[in-house]
Amino acid sequence: MKNKNKTKHSCTILQRLFGNRNKVTDFMKEEQLQSPGRLMVKNFTHNTLGMTGLIIFLLIFLFVMIGPAFFKLDLSYQDNTQTNVPPGLNMLSAPEEMNGKVKKIAPGPTFAAGLDEDGKIYLWGKTKITSKIDLKDIPENLKDKDIVDIAAGYDHIVALDKFGKLYVWGNRRLGQDKIPDKLTAYANSGRNPNIVQLEASNQFSAVVTESGDLYIWGNSNLSDIGVKSDYKGNIQKVALTSYAYISLLKDGSVAYTGYQKDNPLARIPEGLDSGVVDIASTSNSVAAVKEDGTVVVWGTCTKGENDVPKFDGKPVRISGGRYHYSVLLDNGKVVSWGDNTHKQTKVPSSVKNVEDIYVGFYQNYAVTEKGDIEAWGLKGYLCGTDDLGRDILNRIVNGGKVTMTVGAISVLISLVIGIILGGLAGYFGGWVDMIVMRVSEVIGGLPFIPFAMILSAIIGTRISVEQRMYLIMVVLGVLSWPGICHMIRAQIFSQREQEYVTAAKAMGIKERVIIFRHIIPNVLSMILVDATLEFATCMLTESTLSYMGFGISPPTPTWGNMLTGANNSLVIQQFWWRWVFPAAIFGICTICINLIGDALRDAVDPKSAER
Amino acid sequence: MGKYVVKRLLYMVLVFLIVSLLMYAIYNLIPTDPARAQLEPLKRSLRPAEYEKRYEQLRHQMGLDAPLVVRYARWMGFVPDVNGKFDGLLEGNLGYSQLYKTDVAEVIPIRMKNTIFINIFSTIIALAITIPLGIYCAVHKRGKFDSSVQVLTIIGYSIPIYIIGLIFIWFFAVTMGWLPVSGIETPGNHFTGFRAFLDKTYYLILPVLVMTVGSLGGMTRYVRAAMIDSLSMDYIRTARAKGLREKVVIYSHAWRNALLPVITVIIGWFISIFSGSLIIENMFGLNGMGQLYYQGLMNNDYELALAIQMFYIIISLVGQLITDLSYGLVDPRVRVDK
Repeated sequence: MKNKNKTKHSCTILQRLFGNRNKVTDFMKEEQLQSPGRLMVKNFTHNTLGMTGLIIFLLIFLFVMIGPAFFKLDLSYQDNTQTNVPPGLNMLSAPEEMNGKVKKIAPGPTFAAGLDEDGKIYLWGKTKITSKIDLKDIPENLKDKDIVDIAAGYDHIVALDKFGKLYVWGNRRLGQDKIPDKLTAYANSGRNPNIVQLEASNQFSAVVTESGDLYIWGNSNLSDIGVKSDYKGNIQKVALTSYAYISLLKDGSVAYTGYQKDNPLARIPEGLDSGVVDIASTSNSVAAVKEDGTVVVWGTCTKGENDVPKFDGKPVRISGGRYHYSVLLDNGKVVSWGDNTHKQTKVPSSVKNVEDIYVGFYQNYAVTEKGDIEAWGLKGYLCGTDDLGRDILNRIVNGGKVTMTVGAISVLISLVIGIILGGLAGYFGGWVDMIVMRVSEVIGGLPFIPFAMILSAIIGTRISVEQRMYLIMVVLGVLSWPGICHMIRAQIFSQREQEYVTAAKAMGIKERVIIFRHIIPNVLSMILVDATLEFATCMLTESTLSYMGFGISPPTPTWGNMLTGANNSLVIQQFWWRWVFPAAIFGICTICINLIGDALRDAVDPKSAER
Repeated sequence: MGKYVVKRLLYMVLVFLIVSLLMYAIYNLIPTDPARAQLEPLKRSLRPAEYEKRYEQLRHQMGLDAPLVVRYARWMGFVPDVNGKFDGLLEGNLGYSQLYKTDVAEVIPIRMKNTIFINIFSTIIALAITIPLGIYCAVHKRGKFDSSVQVLTIIGYSIPIYIIGLIFIWFFAVTMGWLPVSGIETPGNHFTGFRAFLDKTYYLILPVLVMTVGSLGGMTRYVRAAMIDSLSMDYIRTARAKGLREKVVIYSHAWRNALLPVITVIIGWFISIFSGSLIIENMFGLNGMGQLYYQGLMNNDYELALAIQMFYIIISLVGQLITDLSYGLVDPRVRVDK
């Protein structure tokens, strides 16, 4: 009674709002005018929970279906310098206070260190590189020193004060702070070694003194950091790659001054025996700029480092990131080339009148004549990265596409099998029904996940990753049809007693046609409900299988296998972004699908809404 | 009734044979050749012709040259093995576990004990929560409490159990530090008696909690739906018209009728006590059947996996049988033998 009053009341409000609608038909007439389909839609749209679910699901669906066009998936991508980076977009946000007095900027893998004219050190980006080490914790004894130079390695930072003393902080366990005795002796005795260049790389650091001596220290197990004695007093500048380095000698030639003869860097191209003005390095290649403005790149170039573009000016300074180079031209413009995964070679058009550039990893900083800092490249990761340095957001988008596709195709397979077998069993009855029911009982009774696991384990080892994906779809589809089959059969049992089937029979229509053209469309709404709920179940099963390692295997992402490695307390606490984001979007998605399914069922069968 | 049971049992045996043959055939897809593996060390010292001869001999000795159906019959123990003895599943030979270097039959009992221990707890707790909750929601349907429970149950059965597990580990074990992250007992302990039981319980709180929460959603909805169905029946109106107290109407008239569909589900649950939860056991490192199966598959110990798979199939078939029979037992209106 109460309800009725309410509707009446809202009707009058509607009338008031939208003017005098000519007439309000009474309850019965209105009902009669509606086809079952429209009634269903109306019922559904009036269900707030179901509509909310539908809207959120559609948003997620569009996100993962359109998203991959923007978030390109590179299955082979991994980067050990970008592992377990926390979410955030502050890698390029150099502090405002530095504007106008930048002395140097040293970009690291996920952070950057800056130094201003007053000797003050700034750090920004993801400085917490392990659970214990935060590079922001600058050692106390550095506070009142006059710092003149700074360099950032993969996991450590080196600073130089004006007396030639060096300071190292960050990860120091692999000899990053084993400063050569000669340098410490100089500093302790009050003589200034006159360091002209300070560099740091993958767990090692280097300095070049005015006298042309090169000192390198750090972890020598990974990298070729020896210096041949022939070159003593002859080195002008060095460029450090991840595991080696190259030197620019005082006579303007380039030389590989380490000991590894077979290092690709040691094959120095012709024409670099004089007139080289600057050198730079990426992680596996080096580049040299000659007096005439030509740039030569050699070493291991995998991401287009050696595709040097044409310049409209003369390069004066070159600097290298992880897989890209940027050069500063004499007209104050900057040109970048090489890998563009993180838009690090896309120089903004606002960058002009540049005085100096600082490039490292995926970051580029340009200091203009006015002293402003312009930055481009990798800002950070919105959802962080995983243990192989892959962007979680990228994998969520692409994994969602895989998860949804697998779910949808499995449902389609189970629908086709279920409808055909259920239709046959329901219509013919007798021994057909008997066989179909027995088979479906057996398949429905099989423990689903163990069965799918053993199938995937035995068959899956002999096929490719892609075929394995199809295998999972087929296994899911073939194992999950009994539910739909039972429903169709029961529906047909009740439908075939109805008058329209009798009429169709009397008209001499073939039985096959009666089932699939007359009866099935009448139970279509029920099929829709079941398919929706089944879709959620299939996605859940797929993700469970993938989580256990028996579904779709990495590197193809799915929402399930993204969570595979998350099951230990380190990941759960320290690297929470690795499981929270995929789990959240997956949970929301399945909840929405189930909400839609429930609302659909209520809409199709208003009697079930009583429950 | 007796005739029906016999018929069902025969049907069960038939299904088991078909499924096990299917499983055995799938298992035989694995490209392994034990005869070649055994001859491998001799390969260099033998001449090719002699090697081939020895290989064929060994294949015959091992029974590898027989057709699939014969090998299956031998494995099941229907026909004697090559050496003339019956030695198959039916004789209690479940196979040899490469992983544990012992008979599968010896590995299983301790695992089974753990699995049952965990599952009994979670099943009882889950039932103790879901049944009263379902009844309450059905009686007060469409109320505020019911609506919120409805939303919660949808969330509950939509979220995969491993995500619930992750959240619970994060909260109870990692953040609060109240419970251990994984394991089944304190490593290296020598507790006995009650102390050992307490220790085990302490380690099992979290997995049991996760399993319970994971199964709350579906069961609550099921109980609620059954209860609403039975509350809308005419006999409830009659009972109310008679002037019976509401409590009597609900618990004596409605609930006893709602029990019929619920009980079959409960029986199914109790059956699954034996098979254990693959995901939970792996997540928490519990030494149970599910983990054993997982390990068997991961380490290519297929004889172990196959034996457990057979066990799973038997459990599910017996479960189906008991469920079917219990329909007839709890509801006199249902005649199963029709």
